Amino acid sequence: MEERFLSRNFDIPNAHTLAVFEKHGGYQALKRAVTMDGDSIINEVKKSNLRGRGGAGFPCGIKWSFLPKESDVPKYLVINADEGEPGTFKDRYLMELDPHRHIEGCIIAAWALGIRYGYIFVRGEMQHAIRRLEAAVKEAYAKGYLGKNILGKGFDFDLYVHPGGGAYICGEETGLIEGLEGKSGQPRMKPPFPAVVGLFQAPTIVNNVETISAIPFIIEHGGEWFAAMGVEKNGGPKLYGVSGPIKRPGVYEARSGITVRELLEEYGGGMLDGHELKAFIPGGSSCAVLTPDKLDAVMGFETMREAGSSLGTGCVTFMDTNTCMVRVAARLAAFYHHESCGQCTPCREGTGWATKVLDAIEAGRGRPEDLDLLLDMCSNIEGNTICALGDSIAIPVRSYIQVFRSEFDAHIKQGCCPYPAWTKKRLRSSVAA
Amino acid sequence: MPKVTVNGTEIEVDKGTTILRAAAEAGFEVPHFCYHPALSIPANCRMCLVEVEGAWKLQPACYSQVTDGMVINTKSERVVKAQKAVLEFILVNHPVDCPICDQAGECKLQDYYVAYDSQESRLRAEKVHKVKVFPIGPEVLYDGERCILCTRCVRFCEEITATNELTIVQRGDRAEIRAFPGRELDNKYSVCTADICPVGALTARDFRFKCRVWLLNSTDSVCTGCSNGCNIHLEHFRNEIQRYRPRFNPAVNDYWMCDAGRLTYKEVHTDRLLHPTNNGAELNWHAVCETVADKLKRAIDEVGSDKIALVLSPQASCEDLHLARKFASDVIKTSRFYMGGKRDGDSDDFLIKADKNPNRRGIEAVFGSTTAALPFSQLVDDIEAGTVQVVYMMDQYMPVDAATAARFVERLDKLKLFVFQAQHQGALAQKAHIALPVCSHAESEGTFVNFEGIAQGFERAFAAHGESLPHWQIFMRLAQAMGKPFSYTFIQQIRKEMFAPRPDSVASGTAEGVPVE
Repeated sequence: MEERFLSRNFDIPNAHTLAVFEKHGGYQALKRAVTMDGDSIINEVKKSNLRGRGGAGFPCGIKWSFLPKESDVPKYLVINADEGEPGTFKDRYLMELDPHRHIEGCIIAAWALGIRYGYIFVRGEMQHAIRRLEAAVKEAYAKGYLGKNILGKGFDFDLYVHPGGGAYICGEETGLIEGLEGKSGQPRMKPPFPAVVGLFQAPTIVNNVETISAIPFIIEHGGEWFAAMGVEKNGGPKLYGVSGPIKRPGVYEARSGITVRELLEEYGGGMLDGHELKAFIPGGSSCAVLTPDKLDAVMGFETMREAGSSLGTGCVTFMDTNTCMVRVAARLAAFYHHESCGQCTPCREGTGWATKVLDAIEAGRGRPEDLDLLLDMCSNIEGNTICALGDSIAIPVRSYIQVFRSEFDAHIKQGCCPYPAWTKKRLRSSVAA
Repeated sequence: MPKVTVNGTEIEVDKGTTILRAAAEAGFEVPHFCYHPALSIPANCRMCLVEVEGAWKLQPACYSQVTDGMVINTKSERVVKAQKAVLEFILVNHPVDCPICDQAGECKLQDYYVAYDSQESRLRAEKVHKVKVFPIGPEVLYDGERCILCTRCVRFCEEITATNELTIVQRGDRAEIRAFPGRELDNKYSVCTADICPVGALTARDFRFKCRVWLLNSTDSVCTGCSNGCNIHLEHFRNEIQRYRPRFNPAVNDYWMCDAGRLTYKEVHTDRLLHPTNNGAELNWHAVCETVADKLKRAIDEVGSDKIALVLSPQASCEDLHLARKFASDVIKTSRFYMGGKRDGDSDDFLIKADKNPNRRGIEAVFGSTTAALPFSQLVDDIEAGTVQVVYMMDQYMPVDAATAARFVERLDKLKLFVFQAQHQGALAQKAHIALPVCSHAESEGTFVNFEGIAQGFERAFAAHGESLPHWQIFMRLAQAMGKPFSYTFIQQIRKEMFAPRPDSVASGTAEGVPVE
């Protein structure tokens, strides 16, 4: 196993406390960052090829350079810690086991971008992460890393931990901003992008937890070092999650550019004995499903797109041959139906309708024309909505039908689900995690 | 100025124009539900998606602004498919209860379905059920199943009235419009939400199940509820007003009107005086005019013109007042005027004005002065003192407190002659020696001058109730009976003459309203 960075403190007892964190080199990157000016930090980040770790993969340095330098109102840093994508559980580890690394990243970002206030918007259900972050923020204030005149540099930065209300849609950056403003989480129209008009109508940078947690390493070792840790256009080490009927499910750090097979076999320990891989989703439930022949695809944004899916969050869900793909599609559709904010028509009505049709097929009440109806529905939702949640149901549902059409046909032809009942119980716990 | 091409038509529009407006300027309708020109743009209904060359996604026309050289297609295959898709999605959980829906006939969803969709439903499952006939406010009822969640009503309460009663609760296809806990939709403009609701989700309690909208005739009119003079569609069926609906006029009321004003139409149909009477005995117009003429002539001889008072009504139109003035000066030869009209009421800083009379500025315009008429309270004293012995009163309103009004009614017994020319029955009509029925603004045409001095015409909607006549026609008949005939046949002839002292201020009703000053 290679040298670990992001997960370096995961195995150190009490690394979530300031004392232990500092003992292992914590806050050294911050001390170095405050000797650099903002532009050179942004440059390092640009050189690092650090891509947004929330799923969209937007280059972090370029996003930072969109933030206006001068602003009449305070600029904000918002951390998207609303990790709610089914199958994804990497940010949670960073917040629970290494909260100070994240806070250090926030302070460096604030220093580089001239930001006065920061919010960490944590998914409401992650009580443990919220407690750890709050305790860490308190410690950082006491030590003078947060608050007024940080490190004697005349630089003020306040950081708040904000527990969300538990809506998946608040993981969408503008929905998150709405939630932070105290409104219901309904994404905004873009443009304007948050970097121009964001939180409280002020310029705002919204970054994923893992993205910001990687910043201290870029400062410590330089952007080029970070870029070298990955492949072309995908810099740095990254956290990957593996789940499903495999031997060692969990979160692992590896360089960008690893293949899915390596992830499964070297890190996840391979499939459980007696289980055969049938399909996998590369990065959260909103990615298209792939079959084992794509196992050698590289975990990168471009490479996954070539393979017919997307990298997403990099947390792979594996499914074995006992998994009913109709059931998976129906379960995912139900999730997006439940989480659709209801703002715009195609997603509000389409998610519910698709769920009803998929449930009917799974229950054996489907008709042959239902599959074409579903495909048509997917194309009617995709691209026509305000945010990407509509796409998030259209893309996977379409892929399940296209890749596993025979299973759908079997359900319709037989008038029931061909999979034995016992396979369903386990599925519920693995997919709906 | 950016040049854009809409469906092959090149036009030049202002910078910052939305695609929807640019398309409208080029003559193409882009269907939309959530967009309303007076409200912010949420772009949530997705009905207005159009194709813009170079953009891989369809763009919401209501939200996206044009850029120079933009090539827009509002009718491409993709757009047509998206429009069908959005309508299909909206109809997935819509009850399609048009036969019992008050909105049917003026429903955007109905219209767009016919124009852009017209396909059979592909839904086989049960629809989502939500609240029906939910009293979201005292004047408005909500039907959750019909609601398409365009949030026009929510935005109206946020942006126009700033009262913030409404919000969306729940999410996804369970979402519904609700008032915040402990509140209800009870602002003074609440029925406007029913107006702007593109479907039948919000309906006005007053209009529910009253009349199918396609049976309504609509007449351009002006609300008489206060001096703001909100422009309205006066909608009537079989000689009866069914509702008022605000008529767009950016100079006066924009798209809105208040709830109180909306209900003032009820006055038109209650307790009307229908026949001319002489001491309670019904007479025809010819006979009653002879009688009034005879009595007035005698009164002029006995007490002198100076003791004859004319109570002016700011509820009457400028044309009515013009002839009242002419009748007083040329026929009776008195200049003793008192100001009638309704008492002041509540007001706010938006549309509702304290002065509940639609035409007080009209009296000023016609009489050329603000002090032409003495206050009504003085009339009571003047009757007491004997300086007024004959009262000719227009309309039944008395702008005084109840005690003074009662005293006035009592003093009427002292008068030699009390001619009462009004719309409604009541204590004054009973006391009157002569009662002459006047028709309402719905049954006549005329001009009101609102509090800002904007003269606005209103049109005749239906035939007069009973034998009632407009004030001006009664004055004409009386003048003729008294041997001083006025030479008018049409109201336009009065209009030509009435603002003679200020020829520049002659105005007629237009949608925009013409400022008098």
